[in-house]
Amino acid sequence: MSFTSVTYIVFLVALTVLYYVIPKRCQWMLLLAASYVFYCCGGVKTVVYLLFTTLTVYAAGLLLGRLNAQRRSLPDGADKARLQEAIKRRKKAVVAAACLLNFGMLYTLKYWDFTAQLLGRALNRSLPSLGLLMPLGVSFFVFQSIGYVIDVYRGKQEPQRNVAKFALFTSFFPQIIQGPISRYNQLAPQLYAERTLDYDKLRDGIQLILWGFFKKLLIAERAGVVANTVFDNAGQYPGSILAAGTLAYCIQLYCDFSGGIDITRGTAQMLGIEMTENFRRPLFARSLTDFWRRWHITLGGWMRDYVFYPLSLSKPFARLGRWSRGHIKGKAGKILATSLATFIVYLLIGIWHGSSLKYIFFGFYNGIIITVSLLMEARFVGWRSRLHMTDDSRGWNLVRIARTCVIVFIGRYITRAPRLLTGLGMLWRTVTDFQPSALVSGSLLGLGIGVMDYVIVICAVLVLVLVEYAQERGVHIRQWLAERPAGVQFIAALVPLLLLLFCTGGDYVPAQFIYAQF
Amino acid sequence: MTAKKWLGLFVAALAVTGVIWAGFNVITDSYGVFGDRFLDFYSYDMTRNPRVAKIAWLDEHHDDYDSYIIGCSGSSSIPTEPLNEAFDANFYNMIMYGADLLDVEQTARYLLDNYEVKNIVVSLYVDNAIEYNVGEDDINSRLHAKVSGKPLLPFYLKYLFLNPSYGIDKLKSYFSDTDMPQVFDVFDVETGAYDKRLRDVEPIQTLEEYVEQPEYAVFANYPTGQYGMTQIDNCVKSLTAIRDMCEEAGVNLVVVNNPCYVDYLRYYSADDLALFAQKIAEVTPFWDFSFSSVSYDPRYWYDKTHFRNSVGDMMAAVMTGDESLYVPEGFGHYVTPETAPDSSDYAQDLRAPEDSYTASVPVILYHHLDENGEGDVTIRTDNFRAQMQAIKDAGYQTVSPEDLYRYVYEGTPLPDNPILITFDDGYSSNYELAYPILRELDMKATIFVIGVSVGKDVYKDTDYAITPHFSWEQANEMIASGLITIQTHTYDFHQWPLYEAEQSTARENVLPLAGESEQSYIAALLPDLQRARQELEQATGKTCFALAYPEGQSTKLSWMVAAKAGLDMTFSTRPAVSTVIKGLPQSLLNMPRISVDDITAEELLATLADAGA
Repeated sequence: MSFTSVTYIVFLVALTVLYYVIPKRCQWMLLLAASYVFYCCGGVKTVVYLLFTTLTVYAAGLLLGRLNAQRRSLPDGADKARLQEAIKRRKKAVVAAACLLNFGMLYTLKYWDFTAQLLGRALNRSLPSLGLLMPLGVSFFVFQSIGYVIDVYRGKQEPQRNVAKFALFTSFFPQIIQGPISRYNQLAPQLYAERTLDYDKLRDGIQLILWGFFKKLLIAERAGVVANTVFDNAGQYPGSILAAGTLAYCIQLYCDFSGGIDITRGTAQMLGIEMTENFRRPLFARSLTDFWRRWHITLGGWMRDYVFYPLSLSKPFARLGRWSRGHIKGKAGKILATSLATFIVYLLIGIWHGSSLKYIFFGFYNGIIITVSLLMEARFVGWRSRLHMTDDSRGWNLVRIARTCVIVFIGRYITRAPRLLTGLGMLWRTVTDFQPSALVSGSLLGLGIGVMDYVIVICAVLVLVLVEYAQERGVHIRQWLAERPAGVQFIAALVPLLLLLFCTGGDYVPAQFIYAQF
Repeated sequence: MTAKKWLGLFVAALAVTGVIWAGFNVITDSYGVFGDRFLDFYSYDMTRNPRVAKIAWLDEHHDDYDSYIIGCSGSSSIPTEPLNEAFDANFYNMIMYGADLLDVEQTARYLLDNYEVKNIVVSLYVDNAIEYNVGEDDINSRLHAKVSGKPLLPFYLKYLFLNPSYGIDKLKSYFSDTDMPQVFDVFDVETGAYDKRLRDVEPIQTLEEYVEQPEYAVFANYPTGQYGMTQIDNCVKSLTAIRDMCEEAGVNLVVVNNPCYVDYLRYYSADDLALFAQKIAEVTPFWDFSFSSVSYDPRYWYDKTHFRNSVGDMMAAVMTGDESLYVPEGFGHYVTPETAPDSSDYAQDLRAPEDSYTASVPVILYHHLDENGEGDVTIRTDNFRAQMQAIKDAGYQTVSPEDLYRYVYEGTPLPDNPILITFDDGYSSNYELAYPILRELDMKATIFVIGVSVGKDVYKDTDYAITPHFSWEQANEMIASGLITIQTHTYDFHQWPLYEAEQSTARENVLPLAGESEQSYIAALLPDLQRARQELEQATGKTCFALAYPEGQSTKLSWMVAAKAGLDMTFSTRPAVSTVIKGLPQSLLNMPRISVDDITAEELLATLADAGA
C-alpha cells in the first residue's frame, strides 16, 4: 500500500476515526492490527521475517532483562566482581546471538547474492544465488530492533514483557517502509499510551502529510522520470545533461525520501504520536558532517550511538589513539583513531544502502572527505580570515553550503549509476565533455517530461527552498499561517489540494519509494 | 484560529476540491459517459473504452441506426455500406477491442431492449473459444453499467471522480487533434469502425517488402503456439442466448466466423476448429471465412486476426451475393449443421499459387521526345520507336490503368507479360511524336497531365516560354483511338519555382512546405486534386482515378488526401517492377515506375530484366 495511494488515505482516515472511537485501552491493539494489515498488503509471505526479528529480539530483551536483574541483585561479597563478569559475558553472548541472527538474516536477504557473485568470481566458480523475496523495510526494522537490544543490554531500557506490545514497536506501520529508525524509549511509550483526540496534533498531522504529498507527487515523481531516463541511457548524453540528470536525482531522492518521512510523521501525529525528525533541511548543510546530521538523521544517530562511540571507546581504539599521538606528528596523529572509526561508520552506512561496490565506494568517499576536511580545518580558517570573513558571515556560509552541495552532488553520481564504473565514467564526462549548449537545445524535453512538468517542478522546488529557508531562519510557517485570516487559510488549504489533484498521477506510474529497497 | 476550526475549514476545502474535481470530469468526460456535451470528441472517448463510449453515443444517436455489427476488433473491417445496401438498413459497427462473447451477448441484449433493431451481425473468431468474461473491471475494457447490469451509481461515481489526468490528456488531445487519425482517436464515430483512412492507403507490393516492414516482420517467421478451446461451452451459451433474444424480438441474426491468418489458426488443432464450427452451426447457421487462401498471404493482414478492410469488402460481397467484386475461390461458406466442415477440411493446404492472384507489371516512365534527345528526360523519337518495337518483340503486352484496376478489384485477368507505358507532364511531343508510333504499333500508353499546363506553351500567368503541352482536343483525339489513357499529374503541384512570384512557397511536388501545418497542407492539396479530376473528367468524359506524383514523391498525408480526392491508383518513381494483387487495392498505390531516358532498346530490355520483369 503506497503512501500516495487512495487506498492509504482511506485506510488512514478509517483508522484515525476508529482509533479515537474505541476504548482507549484497545488503542494500541488497533495499531498493531493496522500495522500487520499494512505490512501484509505489501506481501504476506515476507511477514515471517518481521515475526522472526520480533520474536528473537523480544526473547533477547527478556533474557537481558533477567540478567540485568540478576546483576543488580548480586549480594556484596568476594565473588561479586567475578559473578558480575560472568553475567556480563552472558549478556554479551545474548546480544551477539541477537545480532548474529538478525544481521545474519539481513545479510542473507540483502547481501548474499552479491557476495556469491564476488566470491564466485574470485573462486572462479559459480555460487548459487538465493533470489529471496526482499521483505519491506527489512533494514529498518532490524536496525530499530537491534537498537532496542543494545539499550536493554546497557541497562538504559527495561525490556518489554508483552510480546504483542513489542510486536507493535517493530511493526508500527507509518515507519516500517522507510523509517525513521526510532529508539524504543522514544517511540514505544507513545504507542502504548491511551489517547484522546488532540485537534492540534490532528491538524499538524494533516498539514505534514499534505506537505509530504507535495514533495513526492509534484516534485519527486517528475524529477524521477528525468533521472531514470538519463541514468538508464547514460552513454547517449553529454556532460551537461548527465549533470542535469544527477541534479534531478538529488531533487527526487530528497523529495521522495523526506516527503515519505513527512507522511510517516504526519500519520503518527494524527494518532497523537510524535516521531523523531529524519531530515533537517540538508540543503543548508555547511559541511559533509553537518549534512549527515541533517540527512537520514536517525540512521546517523544509530550509527553514532551503536557503532561509532562503542568503537571509539573500545580498548583497541584507545590504544591506537595513544600510539598515534605519540608517533604521528600534528593533527593527523590526534585524529587517526577517530578517523578510522568514522571510516568504518561511513563504510557501514554505504553498505547499509545496498549490496554493490558502488556503495562501498560511496562509504569511502564520505570517510575520506570528512577526514580530509578535519585535516584541512586549520587551513580553511586561515583562508577565511584572509578573506576577512567571520565564522557566521553570510558569504562564508554560502561558500560552505555550495561546497557541501557539490560534494553531495558528486556522491549521487556514484549511488544512482547502475554500476560504480558507469558512475565514475559519467562524472568524468561531466568534467571533460560538458557541452553546455545541450541544456538549451531542447535535449531536456527528450528526457521523459514535458514543458509543463518542468514548470511544475521548478515552481514547486522554489516553494520548497523558500519554505526551508524560512524554517532555517527560525520562522514557524504553520504557526504563522494559523494567525492569518480564515480566507487566507482556506486558500492555503484549497490550493495544495487542487495542485495535488491536477498535477499528479496520470501517465506517471507512482514510483515506489526509493528507500524501500534499502 | 483554533485547530478545530482549521479542520472545519479543511473539510470545506476538501468539499470544494471535490466539486471542482467532479465538474472537471463532467466537462472533459474522457469516457463519454456524461454525453460529452462540451467537447463532443467521441472518437477519443471510444478509443479510451469503446464499450462505454459507444453506448453513450448510441443513447443519443440510435435513431440513425437500425442494425448492428457486434464483435471484437476484427469486426472493424466488416464494412457497413454494402450491408446497408443489401439489407436496406443502417448499420452501426459496435466493435469493442478484446470483446469476448459475454460482452457481445450483453451488448446485444442492451441494443434489443432499448433500441429499434432490424439486423444483428455477430462477428466471431476462434479466440472466442478461449477467452470469456475477461477485463470486466479494467477501466478501458469494462462494459457500460447499463449493459452489464451492474449498479449505476458506483459506475458514474467512478467517472465523476476519475483521475483528472485523463481529462487533462483529453484536453491536450483535443487541442492537438488533426485530420489524420492519431493514437488517441482511432474510431470513426459515425460508423463505429476503426478509422482506417491511413491504413487503407499504405502501399503494398511484394511479399518480401511487406514482411521487411517492422510492423509486419512477425509474419516472416510466425511464432508457433498451441491453444485449447477451454471456453467453448460459455461461447456457445452466449451465442444461444443471442439467437433466442433475436428470435424473440423478430430480429435477423447473421453470424460470421472471421478470417484468421493461417499460422495463428494452426495454434488450434483441426479437430478443435471443426468442433468450433460444428457447435456454432448447431446454434445457428453462419458464414465461415476463417480458413481460405486469403489466410496464407500476410499482405491481406494487419496482424494474425486483423484482416484488411478489403478482405471485409470481400466478405460483404459473399454474404450479399455481390458478384462484381473479386472474391478468391473457396472464400466463405454458409455453414449449417449438415454442411459443417470436419477436421480434414481444416487440415488441408489451401495456399493459392502466387501467380493466380498477383501479377508483376513493369511500369515505364517517359517525359518528352524530340529529334535530338537533349535534356535528362528526353528521348529521341527514333529511339522511342526502337524501344517500343523491342518491347513488343520481347512479348510484352501493353495494358491500361483500367486493366490493372479491374484485375485488382474484379479479378479480370491481365494479358501475359503485361507492361504499362506512361508519360508525365503532357508534352505536345507525346501527341506529335509518340502517339503516331504507338498507334502504328497498336500499343497502349497513359499520359499524366498537369492540369494547369494543358495546351500551354508559356508558364501559367506569365510569358515564360516552356516546352509546349498538348491541348484537351488533342488529348481527346488520342483517347478516341482506344490506346491512350489520360490521367492526372496534379492540377498545379508541379510548379517551377523560378517562374513563381513567391519562390519559397512554390509547390514542385506534393510534399508539404517547410513548417506547413497539416490543415493548410490539406486545404491546398485536396482542392488541387479535386480540380484536376474535375477538369479532366469534364474535358475528356472519362473517369480520372490515377495520379502520378510529381517527381514521384509523396507522404502518408498525401496518400490520404489523394484517396479522399478519389484517386485510387498512384505512381511513384521508385525504380522497380510493380506488383498488383487481386483483392488488395493498396497494391495500386505508389506503384514503382522505371524512368527511361535516351538509352538503347537493348539497354531498356536489360533494365527491365534487371528489375525482375
